[in-house]
Amino acid sequence: MATKLRARPAHAPGPTYLSYTPNGRKLVTVGLNGALRVFQHDSDDEPAVIDVPTDNHFAVAATNDFILVGAEDGSVTKYSLLTNSMEEMLVRSSLPVRDIAISPDGQWAAVASDELEVKVVNTQDMSRVMYLREHPRPAKHVSFDISGAMIAVSCTDGLVYVYSLSSEQPQLVKRIDGLIKLLDNEAEASSKAVWHPDGRAFAAPSSTRDFQVVARNDWKLQKAFQGGHRGDISAAAWSPNGALLVTAGVDKSLVLWETRSQKMLKSFNDVHNVILAMQWHPTDNVLSYTNNNGELFIRENFAPNEHAKLLKIALQHAPTNADPLNDISGNARRPMPNGVKPNGHVRSGDDYIEGLLDDAMSQDGADFIEDDDGAGYAEEPNRNGKRVARSIEGPQAKRQTPGPVWQPQIHEPFQPGSTPWKGNRRYLCFNLTGFVWTVNQETHNTVTVEFYDRQEHRDFHFTDPYMYDKACLNEKGTLFACFGSSHHPAILYYRPHETWTSRTDWRTELPKGEEVSSISLSDSCIVATTTAGYVRIYSLFGVPLKMYRLKSSPAVTCASWRDYVMTVGNGPVGGDGMTRLLYTIENVKRDEICQSEDTLALPDGVELKSVFFSEKGDPCIYDSDGVLLILQHWRTPGQAKWVPLLDTKTLDRLAGGKKEESCWPVAVANNKFHCIILKGGEEYPYFPRPLLSDFEFRIPISSAPNGDEDEINSEVTLRKSLEEEYVQSSLQHSLIQDLVENTSATQTQKLEATGLEREVDKVLLQLLAVECREGEERGMKALEIATLMKDRTGKMLEAAGKVAQRFHREILSEKITHLAERRMVGLVDDDEV
Amino acid sequence: MALPLPPGLTPSEVGFLCEMELVTVIPRQRLEGLELLGGPTQSLNPPFPAPLPLWLALLLKRQKRANISPPPWLSVEGLSSILDFETDNRTAEVFSPAPSLPRPTGFGLPHDEYLSQDSLEFSPPFLADSSTTRSQPNALPYHWLELGHLLLTHASDDFDDPDTVRRLLRDLREVRMSKLRKGFRVLDAGAGVKMNGVGGMEIAEVRGFVGGVVDGLRKINRSREESRKDREAEERENGLGGSSYQDDEDDMQL
Repeated sequence: MATKLRARPAHAPGPTYLSYTPNGRKLVTVGLNGALRVFQHDSDDEPAVIDVPTDNHFAVAATNDFILVGAEDGSVTKYSLLTNSMEEMLVRSSLPVRDIAISPDGQWAAVASDELEVKVVNTQDMSRVMYLREHPRPAKHVSFDISGAMIAVSCTDGLVYVYSLSSEQPQLVKRIDGLIKLLDNEAEASSKAVWHPDGRAFAAPSSTRDFQVVARNDWKLQKAFQGGHRGDISAAAWSPNGALLVTAGVDKSLVLWETRSQKMLKSFNDVHNVILAMQWHPTDNVLSYTNNNGELFIRENFAPNEHAKLLKIALQHAPTNADPLNDISGNARRPMPNGVKPNGHVRSGDDYIEGLLDDAMSQDGADFIEDDDGAGYAEEPNRNGKRVARSIEGPQAKRQTPGPVWQPQIHEPFQPGSTPWKGNRRYLCFNLTGFVWTVNQETHNTVTVEFYDRQEHRDFHFTDPYMYDKACLNEKGTLFACFGSSHHPAILYYRPHETWTSRTDWRTELPKGEEVSSISLSDSCIVATTTAGYVRIYSLFGVPLKMYRLKSSPAVTCASWRDYVMTVGNGPVGGDGMTRLLYTIENVKRDEICQSEDTLALPDGVELKSVFFSEKGDPCIYDSDGVLLILQHWRTPGQAKWVPLLDTKTLDRLAGGKKEESCWPVAVANNKFHCIILKGGEEYPYFPRPLLSDFEFRIPISSAPNGDEDEINSEVTLRKSLEEEYVQSSLQHSLIQDLVENTSATQTQKLEATGLEREVDKVLLQLLAVECREGEERGMKALEIATLMKDRTGKMLEAAGKVAQRFHREILSEKITHLAERRMVGLVDDDEV
Repeated sequence: MALPLPPGLTPSEVGFLCEMELVTVIPRQRLEGLELLGGPTQSLNPPFPAPLPLWLALLLKRQKRANISPPPWLSVEGLSSILDFETDNRTAEVFSPAPSLPRPTGFGLPHDEYLSQDSLEFSPPFLADSSTTRSQPNALPYHWLELGHLLLTHASDDFDDPDTVRRLLRDLREVRMSKLRKGFRVLDAGAGVKMNGVGGMEIAEVRGFVGGVVDGLRKINRSREESRKDREAEERENGLGGSSYQDDEDDMQL
């Protein structure tokens, strides 16, 4: 909330009106005096002033390029926002203009004046005018619906007239009685119909001082926002996604509502004049309003923090009585990072057909449960707030074509191990070799590369005129990339650490217009994904090895290890409106594809945080849920699967939620996860360089054991930890087994594989002992554990038999011996247990 | 050969003993594992932290080949929580507890030692990890004062806030010494002071004094003691000694 509410004196005291341009960049106000003011969004500078020949303006409407201003003398004038000057007089009426509405495509402007007819004028060609004449008295307000095919005219006779503009001659579609109050032309109270952004309903202030919703498909009264005002409503505005509503009354009240539940979220008591016009900013949490005292208020962070997230969710449904789909899909949805952009699109002529289709479709759905007996079962879930009526972005958004254009949410590209600017510095790369950071010096950057091993490498530092924004560091060299600018195209720069010639660093320039979206560096190659959808692979000394187009683009990130290159790109759109991330792993030297366009396993609403190869060369990912996953069996096409190694949320120090800490991944090495612990809700590490922390892997097999276990459940804890150990050692064994089978492994790796196999059996032996100790009745499980043993020499089964004997489990011992014998002669297959 | 030193250990000797403690080191260059008398060290591989004996860590630190990462109890939060415990009215009588003992390693089975590994239990000052980064953050190990002093002297740049840590260490030392001194008031030839959780340097510091006092008191009381013994012997001969001897024993235990 803004702590201090500052009025901006915009005009001479008196009625003042405002309009945002659809792109949200500018805000235009008009008032009594002969000047218009054009405020820039997000700027506290003095507004631009357009001096105009008219005064006493009562109406303004803006598109991105021009504004229309209606004055008391009956003129509607068009001013250009590009030049801030008058363009033409659009239309002139003999009596004062009361309201102007511009269709969403900016083609038509409806002008309500004290004359009987409402004129709908083409904004480009003022000779094309349509007249709405069905209403018997002057109109007070006009408003276009979202598709621009309908106009709701609030007439001074207390009726709302809905006209269709789809034909040459406008036709009256519906006359709605009993909705609005009979108001005088000059009344401060409003009867304006405000269309909900999903286009399925509009709402208008009712005579009972409520804000009444009317469905578009049957023009029946739906839900109402009740009890907010003690005076008539003077202005109202839906938030751009329709999730919130603000209404203001002539009693100087201002109320924020939640659309879904029609609940009053907040009543503001800091309004001192009657608000006449009010509008949300199309994307930000900003509400602007003007009052009858010539003042403009731009209230940033208007929706309180706890409700601000409602502004980020996808387009919401209008609160009609029957919303079966909404009630079923009561899932919380992810915020749309792109924001919704209502009216930010130009609609074409076949809108009306789409509108009709929309009607037809929504009728099927919307009337599924009709609350005809008034029992309220259809709206019950909404009242008790248990079921959240939010839209599914995907399929429903398609139906809502008249609303904001739905766009798939793509994942932004990122560079693993880098942080965003904070202050004037950022880390470009942070790994176990060292770290690269840069300082913004306005005209240039200074880049510093520091190593952990100071004996092996020497730290260096250089002045960077290219403003490198990506870097990779390993034992052999440092790779930088920068964006193109007016002076140079995008550049890749590689600098080896050691050289026996005089100078081996090299730069390569990408074709003009192509930018680097992510880079990676391995011991043998350099990989860059670009905005043109290409993957470019170079040798360490700048020989272009290959280049191909990424199948799933735009690229998100890439990683490499020796000759293996992993690229991640945006794939097809999933059910939640986000694109699926697809990865491809390729061996560039052998020109083999290990995994092609396989899905990166991320649950709904979880984002990819980092991609890297472990020290042993297995791909790992870290997601925004704090889970570290490793790719198993990835060398065989189609066999790869993501296995969780560690859930950092279950770590002792992070669990319990006492401390607000999170992990920022750095690397996986030495069978440990190396990360930086960030405290206090920070998202990225900053300076001074924090210490690395490391955590042992712990596969989340079962709930984490309590810290204060007593003697009774220490047995359970022991078993659980052994079980976890079993799963983990099997995983490690399979990883190393894959490595040994698929590559020309060294002797030590082969030894490690057999060692790990023994390790698995040892854990099983311990588990067997635990089971034996539990009692005779656990014999079946004990035997099952014995069958899991991998050892083919029979020694482990022999040991298992001995354990059983030691606990005097004779039958079990016999059975194990039997199993061992059958195995020895090859009677038992792996499949047969 | 007579040494002009008081009995017990001198501070420098205690400091020397402290140097066998393992501390966590973040190496800045590679070093193969060394075969030391105290056991082999881990090979150093930056940036992976490794436990090293304090003397070796200080040596590497002085040569700028490593950074020492101070144990968690030697942090501002850790020390202030310990100091709070020491100064709290409810716990003003006792010293803050020593680190909890490790669980016996391995697991034994009831009535059967099969699969049970060596379950050796350690006690201070031989606790593993008492001064590495894995140590308990809320307990002072045996060598806390010496270790803190050495680290603050030689590796103060590895601390987040060395001055506050130094001040807290000094506060702690004063609080605990005053507690010890308070204990001396009740010193008697036969009385004792409970010193659970007292560190090595503190013992070395008070050993000379306490020993002297107790010895002096014993000397002063010798004649009384002898006369009492004589009396007791007489009483025993008279067959009345049992109960009074028992009382004496009880007093001793106070």
